[in-house]
Amino acid sequence: MNAMSNANARSGAHTQQQGDIVIKGEGVGKTFGNGSVVALEGADFEIKRGEFVSLVGPSGCGKSTLLRMVAGLIERSSGKLAVHGDTVKGPRSDVGLMFQRATLLEWRTALDNVLLPTELSRKLTSADYDHAEELLAMVGLQDFTFTFPSQLSGGMQQRVALARLLKTGADILLLDEPFGALDEFTREHLNLELMRIVADVGATTLFVTHNIGEAIFLADKVMVMTPRPGRLARIVDVPFERPRTAELQLTPEFNALVAEVRAVLGDH
Amino acid sequence: MKYPVIYRLGRFIPHMVLLALVLVFWEVAVARSWVNAFMVPRPTAVFDSFIRLYVTEQTIYRHFAITMTEAVFGFAIGASVGISLAVASAVNETFRRYVSPYAIVLNVTPGLALTPIIIAWFGFGIGSKIALAAVISFFPIFVNTLSGLTNSDPDRNELFRSLGANASQRFWKLQVPSALPITFAGLKIGMTTALIGAVVAEFAQATEGVGVLMQRFSFQLNMASSVAVLLTMSIMGVTLYYAMELLDDRLIFWRKDSGMARVGRRRSARVRALKAGSVVKA
Repeated sequence: MNAMSNANARSGAHTQQQGDIVIKGEGVGKTFGNGSVVALEGADFEIKRGEFVSLVGPSGCGKSTLLRMVAGLIERSSGKLAVHGDTVKGPRSDVGLMFQRATLLEWRTALDNVLLPTELSRKLTSADYDHAEELLAMVGLQDFTFTFPSQLSGGMQQRVALARLLKTGADILLLDEPFGALDEFTREHLNLELMRIVADVGATTLFVTHNIGEAIFLADKVMVMTPRPGRLARIVDVPFERPRTAELQLTPEFNALVAEVRAVLGDH
Repeated sequence: MKYPVIYRLGRFIPHMVLLALVLVFWEVAVARSWVNAFMVPRPTAVFDSFIRLYVTEQTIYRHFAITMTEAVFGFAIGASVGISLAVASAVNETFRRYVSPYAIVLNVTPGLALTPIIIAWFGFGIGSKIALAAVISFFPIFVNTLSGLTNSDPDRNELFRSLGANASQRFWKLQVPSALPITFAGLKIGMTTALIGAVVAEFAQATEGVGVLMQRFSFQLNMASSVAVLLTMSIMGVTLYYAMELLDDRLIFWRKDSGMARVGRRRSARVRALKAGSVVKA
């Protein structure tokens, strides 16, 4: 309920579409090796337009597998999965993906890395260059337009990757531990920026992490997953108002929610 | 980043001193007859031969040019064939299955053992030298290019897949640039092996080239001139290697700050021009 009202507050422009379910999974499962290894048991979930959903759990809980099935990069073994009402059959242009590693092309400037998604789908126009520069400014890299990835810090590389993700124009963003390889301070800072940016563009976001605090802090809804076999154990609503500040993490309500999620994970 | 000239010279000096010491010791050792002067020529005698070959008689240049031509043409053929087969193998799984066994057999066969056969096929002239140079420079180029093209980073492959890239976009925008560094490592090896091929083929059967010259001098037991020719081969090797290195540095600019600065500036100018142009048109 709270999650919905938060989503409403953030993308008021699309009020008539509010409450639309953009990702719907019914019994989505994945097995490897002729069904002998269960990576994910049938999971049921619904994600609404503009929602920020975290997937949290330890290694081997199937959270990255689930994300990749939504991205259309791996096939599911069972169940139904639909994005914008269409059954997922492969990668699609309205779904963008970001990884733990920035995966930038080191022979391209920051600007040209941001332009890559567009370049792969059509011929570039000068408006694309303007748009890419705006996105670089949005992630705070306006002074590094013509810098190469190896000259950027890890955090800055992920910023470029985020700008590239936004350049795809996708309205569903899938983030697989995007800041997991960065130090605590940089990660916290980038998380705050990420919240601001996805709220700005009104995207639906699926965020994979193994950090419970981070999962709750960012999300409207936390999908808690447990390992062996990978299972979606519970979906927890996060009731906190937006915009959120880092201080939220110091409140008793926040910590109570952390404890609740930890309890779910602790059973396993 | 650039060091002052004096400083760079300073780092160079110890090397020169060491080399000078070795040469002096060598000279003294021969002068004092610690070693046989007939078999081991004195550095000054080698220097005299060098001067004779390069300045007074100037006999070396023709041979130098011939061998360089053989090595460069052989390399060009070996590289073209190696890169083409590697690209075909990288693009087509079936092709790779049928071609790679032969490539491997060719590799484990000592390439230089082909010399007599190649001379029988291509004759005593420059053709057989080029052919041997091509054959033995082919393999390192083929192997490196193929592994560069096929071992692109899995995360990047996934990125391209998620962005809906087609095979040709993936090839040109991901595989080729990823493969460049290792391809160039192969080209550098191939360049030097091509020179070996040319010289060995000259040893076997030829009328001109540095290999012939060297053989002639050593048959005459003119060791000083033989060593001078050997040094000439070193000069050729270094020249060819650095030509590749230069191209390498130019093309794979993203390994050095200076290269990235250069290309970044150029890119910035182009983007500005592109935007200015579109504004004028609009």
